[in-house]
Amino acid sequence: MSRRSLSTLLVLVIVLLVSLAPAMAQEGGKFTFTGWSLQEGATRDVIMGVVAEYSQATGAEITDVSYPYNEYLNQILLQARGGNLSGAVQLDIAWLAPLAAMGVLKDLGPVAAEADYTAAALSSGQINGVQYGLPWTTASIGMVANMKLLEEAGITELPTTIAEFEAALEALKAYDPDVIPYAGMTDTAQLKDIIPWIWTFGGTVIDDEGNVVLNDEGSIAAVEWYAGLLERGLIAADMDRFDARQLFAQGRVGFYDDAIVARGLVQSNAPDSDLADYVVPVPRPVLNEGDAPQALLWGHIIVVIDDANADAAAAFAKYITTDQDTVLNYFEQLALPPTTQTALDSETVQNNAYVATWSEGITATARTNPFWPYTQAAAMEQALNERVQAVLTGEMSAADAMNDAHDEISDLID
Amino acid sequence: MTVSRISETSTMAASQRQKLLDRAVLYLSFAVVAVFAFFPIYWMLVTSLTPANQVFRFPPRLFPASLTLDHYQAFFDNPTLLRYFRNSVLVSTATAVGSILISTYAAYSFSKFRYAGRRALMFLILSAQMFPQALLLIALYLMFDELGLLNSYWSMILAFTTFTLPLCIWMLKSYFDTIPDDLIEAAKVDGAGQFQIIHRILMPLAAPALVSTTLFAFIRGWNDYIYALTLAGPHKMTLPPGLVLTYIGEFQTSWPNLMASSFIVSLPIVIAFLFMQRYIAGGLVAGAVKG
Repeated sequence: MSRRSLSTLLVLVIVLLVSLAPAMAQEGGKFTFTGWSLQEGATRDVIMGVVAEYSQATGAEITDVSYPYNEYLNQILLQARGGNLSGAVQLDIAWLAPLAAMGVLKDLGPVAAEADYTAAALSSGQINGVQYGLPWTTASIGMVANMKLLEEAGITELPTTIAEFEAALEALKAYDPDVIPYAGMTDTAQLKDIIPWIWTFGGTVIDDEGNVVLNDEGSIAAVEWYAGLLERGLIAADMDRFDARQLFAQGRVGFYDDAIVARGLVQSNAPDSDLADYVVPVPRPVLNEGDAPQALLWGHIIVVIDDANADAAAAFAKYITTDQDTVLNYFEQLALPPTTQTALDSETVQNNAYVATWSEGITATARTNPFWPYTQAAAMEQALNERVQAVLTGEMSAADAMNDAHDEISDLID
Repeated sequence: MTVSRISETSTMAASQRQKLLDRAVLYLSFAVVAVFAFFPIYWMLVTSLTPANQVFRFPPRLFPASLTLDHYQAFFDNPTLLRYFRNSVLVSTATAVGSILISTYAAYSFSKFRYAGRRALMFLILSAQMFPQALLLIALYLMFDELGLLNSYWSMILAFTTFTLPLCIWMLKSYFDTIPDDLIEAAKVDGAGQFQIIHRILMPLAAPALVSTTLFAFIRGWNDYIYALTLAGPHKMTLPPGLVLTYIGEFQTSWPNLMASSFIVSLPIVIAFLFMQRYIAGGLVAGAVKG
């Protein structure tokens, strides 16, 4: 080939590349990714690494925005109301309803249909059958135990029924009066943890028709039982989850309720460097043998604001929640379970006994908090929490408290 | 020794014992108050120097078994935190300068001039202090959004100045009230204009009040959380929301890091107070007593 032809070919190639470059850059798009995990110490490097990889691979320009977890919902609602929220947004599954009610979210049903998310995971991102959120991690609030402490107290088998559970708690109390047998939540703000116990005792909370059924026999029995634990010294007053974690890390708690990340959390605060080896997930004890263990579903989803950048943001949301290497790396680094069947069936996840036990024994039968589909969810939870607290402090009987809660929550729904 | 002298001696001894007892009670009271006041600071310092896995050791120790500077190092190794620090310095300084400039002239007007509506205007400005500031957050957010000022330093500077101005004006006005009008009259007789009166006579005389007012405005901007979180955006965020974002997470709080960072962040204010305490005390109480 002559020099002139070569030069012409080179120029043509350069022109082609230059003309394609904007298209390549636009393939990834330009959007914002909002989340609380983007700047938190434990998760920052992992997530921003994924963002950087995606940007490099697709040419996407991603602007990251963060708010602290405790202020996150208020901030994004304010941003959404002002029309300043855009792109992909990380959400706790408890927060989907208020944001969905603002009418700013894109229906991600077609995007979700392209991936093999599990049914339970998909349900966490749905409101009234519309898939607003792609599940990023799905697990549950379950019970964990310190097996070493249990064995020292003479408990060799994990309890499976309420009767066995009470016996285990009594054994722990007899072994060491300074140990808190069960660090169940008794701080008012955390008393929504009573809901799986209500389910355990056959209560319903809200039925399929949307009627509040808090004053049924099961609900009253559950609250009476819980108050009984406090009277017997088997749970402690004013316990919140942060306190329970610290006490568990110090080896002073037998059982407590936490998210799946409990093992990593308590180990990071524990003087005993081997504590993680003794932390075991415990399916919630059931009232009668054969009943399904109850738990509250927990997880994170990614929603997309329905605006000009929605398609690019949706593509990113799908990538970060389904790309096999990405989700497995997320799992290995942060112990947060993936949400696709392929990833859950992988050796990486299956070889983790703790996560496998949690997923099969606890998350498999977990249910969504019945208040979450309502925009007044926070007020409804507060109404239930305050009534249960009144029972724990002896101000009200369980029946009166649940009747009061039933009335107030029914008014909130109406 | 006569009976009266013995009696006098024993009375003096009793009186001295009583004085000693009174002094002991007084010092004990000081000690109790000091413990309440300084123990949280001591605990913050101890926590910041304790390795993370020993922070919640039970029983707690007044003196940690081992010390570490890792948490302090973590602050300086984090470029994002250093950016928040820079933003805080910028915003707080601008708030202080803006507040002192506006409030000086406003206070001079209220103090040394008489005009219709003066009292009503003073009351209006002071009544702004009665509003819970969180109530104004939504309104200011929408206003700044319309003006295109969200996610900028200006949104914070304007918001903080709004809240500091009433008290700054009132503090300076009270101080200017103590400056005799004769001084101003004498300056006028000598041919001084208003500009010279304010800048060459009043402001030098009001140095203590200006220092304390400036520091108050600076601290207001330095410590604000909710407005900085809502108005600033991720790149203009200041230290209070920045520290919460970095160290208080969904699952846990990194208490030693938070304590170390809080200690570092409080140092500029503490140093400023130490050097300017003479002016601050004078500025705060000036004008408290008439005549």
